[in-house]
Parts: sequence; C-alpha cells; structure tokens
Amino acid sequence: MSATRFTLNGGEVEARSAPAARLTQVLREEFGLTGTKVGCDAGDCGACTVLLDGEPVCACLTAVGQVEGARVETIEGLGRASEVTRRLQESFLAHGAAQCGICTPGMLVAATHLLERTPHPTEQEAMDAIGGVLCRCTGYRKIVAAVCAAGTPVPHEETPTAGAAVGARLRRLDGRRKVEGTDIFGADEAPPDCLLLRAVRSPYHRARFRFGDLEGFLKAHPGIHRVLTARDVPGVNCYGVIPPFADQPVFAVEEARFRGEAVAAVVGESAAVEALDLAPFPVEWQELPPLTTMDAALADDAPLIHPGRPQNVLTRGRVVRGDVEAGLAQADLVVESRFETGFIEHAYIEPEAGFARRVGDRIEVQVSTQAPHHHRDDIAKILGISPEAVRILPTAVGGGFGSKLDMSVQPFVALAAWLLRRPVRMVWSRPESMMASTKRHPARMRSRIGATRDGRLVAIDFEADFNTGAYSSWGPTVANRVPVHASGPYYVPHCRARSRAIHTNLVPAGAFRGFGVPQLTLAQEQLMDELAEKLGMDALEFRILNALRPDQPTATGQVLGAGCGIRQCFEALRPQWRKRREAARRFNEQNAAGVLRRGVGLAGMWYGCGNTSMPNPSTMRVGLKANGRIALHQGAVDIGQGSNTVIAQILADALGAPIGCIDLLPADTDITPDCGKTSASRQTFVSGKAAELAGRQLRAEILRQANAGEGARLSFEEGRVTVQEGDHERVLWLESLPLDARGYVLSAEATFDPPTTPLDADGQGDPYAVYGFGAHLAEVEVDLELGTTKLIGLIAAHDVGRAVNPMLIEGQIEGGAAQGLGMALMEEFIPGRGENLHDYLIPSAGDMPKIEFVLIEDAAPVGPFGAKGIGEQALIPTAPAIFNAIYDAAGVRLRRAPATPDRLRAAIKALAR
Amino acid sequence: MHPFSLERPRDLAGAFASGAQAGRNDAPIEFIAGGTDMVQLLQEHVRRPDRLVSLSGLLDATIELSPEGLRIGAAATMADTAAHPAVLEGFPVIAEALLASASPQVRNQATIGGNLLQRTRCPYFRDVGYAACNKRAPGSGCSALGGETRWNAVLGTSQSCIAAHASDLAVALVALDPVVELRSASGQRTVPLAEFHRLPGETPHIETVLEPGEVVAGILVPASPIARRSHYLKVRDRASFEFALVSAAVGLDLEDGIIRDAHVALGGVGTKPWRVPEVEAALSGAALEEAALRQAAALATQGAEPRGGNAFKIELMQRAIVRAIQTAGARA
Repeated sequence: MSATRFTLNGGEVEARSAPAARLTQVLREEFGLTGTKVGCDAGDCGACTVLLDGEPVCACLTAVGQVEGARVETIEGLGRASEVTRRLQESFLAHGAAQCGICTPGMLVAATHLLERTPHPTEQEAMDAIGGVLCRCTGYRKIVAAVCAAGTPVPHEETPTAGAAVGARLRRLDGRRKVEGTDIFGADEAPPDCLLLRAVRSPYHRARFRFGDLEGFLKAHPGIHRVLTARDVPGVNCYGVIPPFADQPVFAVEEARFRGEAVAAVVGESAAVEALDLAPFPVEWQELPPLTTMDAALADDAPLIHPGRPQNVLTRGRVVRGDVEAGLAQADLVVESRFETGFIEHAYIEPEAGFARRVGDRIEVQVSTQAPHHHRDDIAKILGISPEAVRILPTAVGGGFGSKLDMSVQPFVALAAWLLRRPVRMVWSRPESMMASTKRHPARMRSRIGATRDGRLVAIDFEADFNTGAYSSWGPTVANRVPVHASGPYYVPHCRARSRAIHTNLVPAGAFRGFGVPQLTLAQEQLMDELAEKLGMDALEFRILNALRPDQPTATGQVLGAGCGIRQCFEALRPQWRKRREAARRFNEQNAAGVLRRGVGLAGMWYGCGNTSMPNPSTMRVGLKANGRIALHQGAVDIGQGSNTVIAQILADALGAPIGCIDLLPADTDITPDCGKTSASRQTFVSGKAAELAGRQLRAEILRQANAGEGARLSFEEGRVTVQEGDHERVLWLESLPLDARGYVLSAEATFDPPTTPLDADGQGDPYAVYGFGAHLAEVEVDLELGTTKLIGLIAAHDVGRAVNPMLIEGQIEGGAAQGLGMALMEEFIPGRGENLHDYLIPSAGDMPKIEFVLIEDAAPVGPFGAKGIGEQALIPTAPAIFNAIYDAAGVRLRRAPATPDRLRAAIKALAR
Repeated sequence: MHPFSLERPRDLAGAFASGAQAGRNDAPIEFIAGGTDMVQLLQEHVRRPDRLVSLSGLLDATIELSPEGLRIGAAATMADTAAHPAVLEGFPVIAEALLASASPQVRNQATIGGNLLQRTRCPYFRDVGYAACNKRAPGSGCSALGGETRWNAVLGTSQSCIAAHASDLAVALVALDPVVELRSASGQRTVPLAEFHRLPGETPHIETVLEPGEVVAGILVPASPIARRSHYLKVRDRASFEFALVSAAVGLDLEDGIIRDAHVALGGVGTKPWRVPEVEAALSGAALEEAALRQAAALATQGAEPRGGNAFKIELMQRAIVRAIQTAGARA
C-alpha cells in the first residue's frame, strides 16, 4: 500500500507505516515526535492530543491513512511556530501547572486551540477546552489558571538570591522540558535495534496451567525470537518490595494466583510482536475456584494462597495503649460503626514502560520507577548477579503515587535482554497496567470511639481487614501503619487498634498515597463528627479540644515535643467554618422547596513521614567543579512532586549559594547514591535533610580552605569561589585544586536516617521522627432527587513544618485533594471489569472546585529547615470531609465509598422511610 | 490491535461495492468514518473485521436548515453540529446532548452518522476476556446476566442481551421524530430513527436495519415547537467525559403552562434509544406541576426489568424525566 502524505508541523512528510497504523505510533516511532504521549490508546485521556487541520483530536484514535492531505501539528511544532503555545508554556511554568508532565503536551495543544480563538478565556472556557485531557497529579486548578493567564505575557522569573531559595515560589527546575514535550518518559526511548516483549497473562483469577508446544509456536512465528517462562530465570524467580515478605514470581509456576499474572513472555522484532495474536499461545488453563473475598479467604477450609501464611493472613498490626475496655466503660458516649472501601487504581497517565540492554556482564534498565536502588537489588537476585552489575536509569515518571515502587516491566526486560544479548523493550497497554499493577487496599473497618460528656476523647477501639490480593507487595506496611494512625491527630488515653492484611486471588494491593491511612481516616473522621453531634458540640471545636498537643503522648507513647501543628490547622479553619456553615444554612432555607442542599464538612489528619520504625536512610552527594558550578547527585526520584527542585533549594541555602549555580544529576544508580524510595512523604524530609547536611559540609570545607568563619558569604563564579567576611575577601582559585575521582575539586556526601525506634509487641515506640498534620473543610451541593454530589469548595490547612516551595506544595495539595475527591465520589476498581479509563473514572477538570490554602509552619526541628512531607498528607482528609459535608447537606451517612448517585439515593430513601 | 487493511475508495460507488456493513458485529468488512469508537473496538479485539472501508471525504458534512427541518449530513462532526446556530436556536436538545458527550477531541473527530452506530459500553461486550457475549460472539451467552449490571439496560432487554445503547445524541434525536437517510448502490431510502435501531431479541449482534453496502447519509429532523423547547439532562458519575447512568431528552409544546404535547426519550436505560409514549400521552394536557409530572413519569417504567445492580435506574429515570421537563418548561 502506498505511503500517506500529510503536512507535519509545517513540513510535507510521507509516512511509510501502514494506513491502518495509529497516528500516535507513526508520530512517535516513525518521526520521533515523542511529545505526543500515549496514556490509554482509547481516546480517554487526551495525552495524545494533536491539532488535525487546526482542531484538537486524539491521535490514538486516528488511523494515519485518515490524515492523507491533512495538516497535523504536535507540541514540538507548535512550540516552534505558535506564539500562543510559547506563552502557554511560560504560563504553565510560572503557575506550576506541570507536575509529572505526561499530560502537559496534550493540555498545551488543547489550550492552544482555545487561545488562538479566545485570547482571554473564562475559567469555564478553559475547563471545557481541557475537559478531554486527564491529569492525575495537579487537580487541574493550576492548569486552568495558567490557561486563563496566558493571554498576557508572563513576567520573567526573579531567581532568589543566595540564602533565599527555601520558601521561594520557584518554578520547577526540570519544568522546561516537560512543557516542551522533550522530557523522556518510560516509553519515549529505545535503542534502534530493540526487541519488543509482551507478557502472556492469566485470564482467570486462579488457574493451573500447562504449556503446550512452545518450540512449535516459535517455529510458526517468524520474528519471534524467544518464549520465556519461569524455567528461564537464572537466579531467584521471586521479588518483592519488603525483602522478608518477597513472594512474587517473575513468571508464575504451575498456578496463576490472580487475573493478569504473567506466566510467560514472547520476545521478538517489534512488528512481529505487535501483530501477534496471543489467543493461540500454547498454554492450557484449568480454572480453579478463586478466593475473591476476604471472608472466603479467612474461611477455615480455604486453600492457602501461600503456604506458611495460615488463614491467608499475610501480617497483623497492633497498637495498644491504656485499657480500651475500661476507657470505653468510662465514656459517657460511645459511637460505633462499620465502613468499607474498594480497590482504587492509581491511574497515572503514563503506563509502565522501559527497556533493558546488556552491556558486557552488566545489565542496564531504563525505566519509569519510584525505587531505583531497590529494583537494582531485586533484578540482581532474579538474574543471579551482583547488584553492582545492575544499573537502573530512571526516566521521567508520568505519575507514580506508590504503584511504581513495585517492579513492573523491569524483571521481564532485564531477563530477556540478559539472555538474548539484545536490547528489549516493554510498554504496558492501559488495560495491562490496570490489570497487573498494584492498587489501593480495599478496607473493611469497625470502630468504636468513646468520649466524656465534656467532649474529651477517652478511648478508641479500631479493627480493620485489608484485602492485599495475591502477593505481599506493601501489605505489611499498610497493616503496620494503620494502627499507629488510628487515634487520628488527637490525644486519646486508651487506644487499641488491630489490623490484618489478607490474601485473596485478586490483583495485589500495594502502596497508594497514604498506605491505608486514607481508608482509616474515612472511618474515624466520620465517627468524630457523629460524636460531636451527639455531644451537642460544634464539630470543629470538638476537634480543637482533642487536638494532640506537643507534650501529650500519641497512641504509641511518643511525645512529639515540637512540630505538632494540628491545633493551628483547625483553628485556621474557624472563621471560614462559621461563615460557610451559615451560608449553607441560608442557601438551604432559601431553597427549601427545591432539591439542592448544601453542606459543609471537616476532617483532620496526621501522617508519619518515612518508613514505620524501620531504617530509611538517604544519601546525597555534592561536588564543586573547577568551573565554580555545583553538582548535585540527586537520587530522590522526582515523580512530579518536585524533589528535583525542592532538594536543590535546600542545598542552595545550606551551602549559601544561589540556586542557579547548581547542576542536577538526576537519579541513576551508577551516579547517585541511594536516596531510598519516593514514598511515605519522605523525600523532602529525609533526602532533603541529607542534602542540607551535605551542603553544610561542603560549605564548611570551603570556609576551612578560605580560613573563614561560619558567617562568611560565598559567591561562585567561573573558576573561583569568593569568600567574603566583613571587609575581608578571599578567593579560592578552583583550577589550582586537585580533582578527585569524580572530577570535583571539593565534595561532600551525607546520609540522614530519621531517628525512630522499633515498636514493641503493643506497638509502643517512636515509629516516625516527624508527623505532618492537616485539616480540610469541604463544601458540597447534593441533588437530593438525582443523588449527585458536587464539591463546590475546599479549604486545606496543612502543617508542613516549613514550606520550602509553596507553589509546589499547593500543587501537591490540589492533586491530593483531587484524588481524595475521586475516592469519595467516583472511584472503585473491580478486578476483571473496566480495565480502562472510560469505565474507571478519575476526576476531570470540571469536577474540581477552587481550593484555598492555609500553610502552617510548625517547624520539625529534625527536618531540613524544619520541613516535613506533604505528598500523602494532602489526600487523607479530603474524602472524609466530603462525606461529612454530604451528611450536613442530606442527613445521610455513607459507610461505603464511593458516594455514587445510586448509593446516595438509596441512603436518602432509607432515611425517608 | 486486530490487524486489518484500510481501504480508501475514490467515491461512494466504490464504498458501496465493498459490501461493508455497519451496525453488525459479525460483519467481515466494515465502514470506518471518524473512527473514534471503531479504533477502540479493534484495539480490544472486540471487532475483528478483515477490511475497513473508509468513508472519509465521501459523505456530506453539511448542516442545513430548510422549511422541512434540519438536515445533518452523516459526515458532520459532533463538534460542528453542536456549534451550529440553527441547532442551538431550534434544536437545543441536540446541542446539549452532544456537548454532554465524550471530550472536545472526540467530538472533533466523531461523525453524526458514526455516533448513531456506536457500540454499547457493556463491559462484558468490551472485554474479550469474557467469552460469553451474544452481541460480540453470537450464541456465546451473556455475561452481564448474573454479573455486574450497573451499566446495563432495564428496558427492551432480552434473555440474550441487556446492553444499554450508549449514544446521547441518538436519545436526543429520537425525541424529535427524525428520519435517517440511508444510501446504497441501489439508491436511497429513509427510515424513521425510532425504527433504525433493533431490539436485541435473540440477535443482539445485529444492531440496526442497515443492509450490506448501505451507509447512513444524513438525518432529517423536523422543526417544531417541541424541538425549540427541548432539553437534555444527563446523570453521570463525573462532571465530563462520561456515559450516562440515566439521561432524559424532552421536548415540550406549551401553552399557558399547560403541556399541549410532549416528547420524552431516555438514555442509559434502554437497549436502544428509548421513547416513552405512555409518559407522553399522560403529559398531554397536564400542567407543569410536580405531582402531575411524577405521575406521568412513573409510566416510563412499564415493562422495565431491573437486574440487581441496575435497579436504581427505575427510580432515577422517573426523576430525570421530571427534572428535564421542569427545566425545559422553565425556559422562555
């Protein structure tokens, strides 16, 4: 068939791909224009938005044959040719509208079309224009603001002077390539001779299987080089994020334990593998009765999914303080209820992708990951080689939220490239990603909370079971973290919290922003409201009365001493709490005959930063180059949250250098020391502290060489550092200094491991060095007749210790709140059903109201400049605040999330009866 | 993606001669226009035609208002139709249904003809991992019966299929009594839209009355007071880019607060775009008062068969009808 001719970014081109090929694939693979991203291949996410004859379309839904004679423009071309696009790019940077950057090109293309016609759009027009592009990081608000403001030129950024980086609303240091579409994500690069790998996955929740004639299959399929199964794994066919619990095979052996588990892989030339129909792959399945519920898994006669884990219980967690039964007996009032939540999908817009190549006796894996050093060690075990023989090169990560802490494509491509000695690539499709990647744990919770008549909490008894799916993943972490947090940010003298992580034959549940604490908080904060109501107290004043003070012990017996800003968070909400409650009451009175009801709800939260009672060190290395620039070996993977920028800001101020002097060396296990995982809201706190320590060390060394005191001012210039102390000035000529092995004239390396203690059998100890605190106020409008809920306002107050970069913090809060909104109103993943982004819904631009922020800075002395984490904290209080607001509006309490129209209507009907 | 060849015939005669058949899930040759639904189906191996015949550039894309009414060429995009002044002025229900559909990008690509032919969102139809689906694989059974039914129909269902029709536009249109122009090598015929889609019965894989080699060429919507005072209400789980849990399209002919004539159609609940003549009859002569509207709307449930997870739609569709009539009635 003939080539397709069309105009691409202003030039005439001829596509050689078959006319049936998707335009996305042609743009990316044939023309190398990887700014057009692939998030779903189904028109659901809009990441592939291009202009076709001037109109935004999804390139993934367009066969290249359909664009014959047409004009196609991508982010690369628009960035060159369109003044409007360039203004949008600047505006996105200035507003912090790009986080991970995977949706950014699609957003910019859609917005370009709007701004070309409407230079000064309204918020609604902007939301409509980007309505077809999904974003999972930002909560859309900064994108809408950036689009609305792009009609006028963006002022040039004033870079902070030395010592003023911490606290500045600095633009992302890695932002430009995100807005230009040149950032390299997992699927954006592969060596030219790269083979492609696809997994053969179980169609059943549980099945025994046997392979047929694999040799015959290979012979019948030219272009397929190899079929891989468990037999081909040279090392250990087992991996997992928590080594003592590691239980997941690269390829299942004899029995598949969940639908979507890989049993084999085919590797071959890209075209052959892409065209391959896996239906006739020689594997014979024998479906077995699966354990799909926790009750079934706990039954006495249930088969064990993993031998050695009786009753299919993976782990238990427990925190006991005081005497809970005596406490409840003392209480004047006890409330009790059960709550349930379902699986929640991370739904990052970038599906898992990467490639591996063998370099001599080493293997290099370039991949989208949140945990490079850990994956290095696991790949080494799988291949039976030393960790030093493995190099992990993280790409830009198009959203992670916890799921990219677990390995995805890594073991497959590493194994194939190792054995075949050819580069091998794997790119998960959206359904594959949703089928095989980890999820948020479904929770089944029961809680009793007691208080005295004067409103003081006396006892909490909490029990939860978490459906952890077929493999351990982060199940133990969820089971351990939840009991520690069961008291919420309150002083509760008697507390008993127990949890279990239970295996089923479903997709593994793992880490998802909050490790079980969002589920817990949905239960506890609704009960707090009930208690306050029954006591006749104001819900906010009740919380303030019980808010944990720095001199009071937590349920694990820890006394924080400082950095305990929960009371300030609640108090900051007081004026708006009163005002908005009053406004809602007025609205409801004025519209008493109508069907709309407004309500206002609150929720508080706390969350420990870093691993629970486990070492989790980060190491930072900085080097001064002979040219006067500073190299930062920044191994804390930036998954959009901003560690590349925040850690550089911390280093700059610790060193006393302007941030412009710093060159970032991003995560690469050969180049950057281990900064642990991007999880548990630990990077600003732990890696940031390591950067602060390294910066101070380097500064001390410079001062020592210059024989200057601590107060001296440093200026970094080409080939020299000028050290000024009062009127005295000394120049350190860098070219005269010897270079070390890495080419630095001076360098420093520092490790920080947050001070924690192990928890005893009753869960007593200091599990975290620092807790973040926060409270959200949600305002909703419920349609009583149709059962729909709209979030119309949200105020988020967070104690962040020190706001290193307020703009990035706001971005974390807005994005976290959007995920909380999804958890409250629309998100539930049903394994085996709707493994795509049109059946599984995440919030769209139109769902998000304006968010107001209150940043409390109750410094945590141990953190860098007092800073704590914010990534997970931001999401935790949103859903319970919304549920409490629904109660305020409609008088119904939902014990099951999400509050879909059908559930809400059923509750309203039950109330009327 | 299912491998297929894409053919671009020079003219309509060539397209007709291909023998392609739209609206039938076992057709070996099928047409493709905007492709927004078809490409997804091919990707998931839900449709496995050997050949696709492109209609790009072969069909009329004009939108015209004449004394007979509004004619929309089958190749007009959803976006162009939604933005057309004649549509906004005289047929608001059409514009509203379109703007509540899909995303701006999809609306720029998808055509009106293709929209009428879009396949159901029944998750069992869309996932070949479920072997049983009579719509996808005739005679294989129905996984939705006894499965998760939140997305499925309660009206017009059969023992073979309970898949809901997915189009918002078709619901809006069917309320306005349009005719569909069909063209083939043997000429042109017209079919009322109400008769264009078939009930599933025992052959849910045959979704329309289209013959092999026949295409939708256009839609003719009569102008009327009903069309002018019309409204589309969509209830869904998120603010945009989501199919209807339940939707209602209504058109009213009002005089002094009394309904002279009403047209009502429902989406998300029927196996095809669903008119409710009993409701319309009860509304005729009724005042715009809630009690009367509720009483009339209750008749929509005649013959409805809830199956577990979709039972909520029985109540929700009545409420949607009432709300949509109130909104349309309140318009100047």
